Amino acid sequence: MTQKLWLKKPKLNYSEDVLDIVQFGSSVEEGKTPNDLDIAVIFNKIPLKEQLNQAQEIKKQLEKFVEISIHINSFDLYSLFDSSNFAKENILFFGKSIIHGDDFAKRFGLTPKIQIYYSLKKLKKKDKIGFNYMLNGRGGEYGLLRKHKGGLLNPGLIEINPEFENIFVNSIKEYKIDFKVKKVLLE
Amino acid sequence: MNKEETLIKAGKEYFHSGNDEFDKKRYNSAVVLYFKALVSFSDLYVLQKTGNTPSSHNDRFKITKEKFSEIYNLLDKDFPFYQSSYFQIMSKELAEVIKDDAKIMAEKTKTKL
Repeated sequence: MTQKLWLKKPKLNYSEDVLDIVQFGSSVEEGKTPNDLDIAVIFNKIPLKEQLNQAQEIKKQLEKFVEISIHINSFDLYSLFDSSNFAKENILFFGKSIIHGDDFAKRFGLTPKIQIYYSLKKLKKKDKIGFNYMLNGRGGEYGLLRKHKGGLLNPGLIEINPEFENIFVNSIKEYKIDFKVKKVLLE
Repeated sequence: MNKEETLIKAGKEYFHSGNDEFDKKRYNSAVVLYFKALVSFSDLYVLQKTGNTPSSHNDRFKITKEKFSEIYNLLDKDFPFYQSSYFQIMSKELAEVIKDDAKIMAEKTKTKL
């Protein structure tokens, strides 16, 4: 049973007060084993009691599609971006809309990307070649970039979708090189 | 004091302490206390219906999910706020919601607040 509800786009019943239903946290990140599934239900400005009751109904429907427990949060746009909401960056950047089957940030006209800057200067020649194989593949085998729809923007700079951050970072770490990760929202 | 009397006393005490904190605009404390009142009255309800009380949060969720879905819904809906009250700011509106839920359970168990 998949934990990637956003790819499955399950048919759900919800009211017009619901702006979006967003999956976020470790369950959307490749290479992680989530203990539970974080969901944010984004509402129009309606009373909190109503938000919580409706979110509970959505949770019941979602529970039929997954085996792990669901942790549901409800927000309106004010509470979503409130400074006390520590989850807001994660929801905005990594969140996947279960309704639209795409990045939640795209609802705001933004596309989230991870850019990784790296330098191979300290590597021996054979390790530079190995690193290149890792990214671009070898002998008909796909490398990480093709496998995960990433791109080489410049020498020393790749751009990938947020859900693949762990896979790339863990692979790059094996080469013990200097690298820097930047989260960007593109128009 | 038997189990039923203990749960009534504890639930009422949590509820009224919740009101005290609410009046002082300490909404995190109010949320915690109202939720504890909700749990006491939920356990009281289970005791009244089955003769037993849950021994843990897991047990409470299991019993109510199987036998008393309306109660389970209230607990399941409000529990995350109790859990996150250590590190998140709770609003007045949220405290009111959980207070109402505790009141619902007090009524179901015929407890006078």
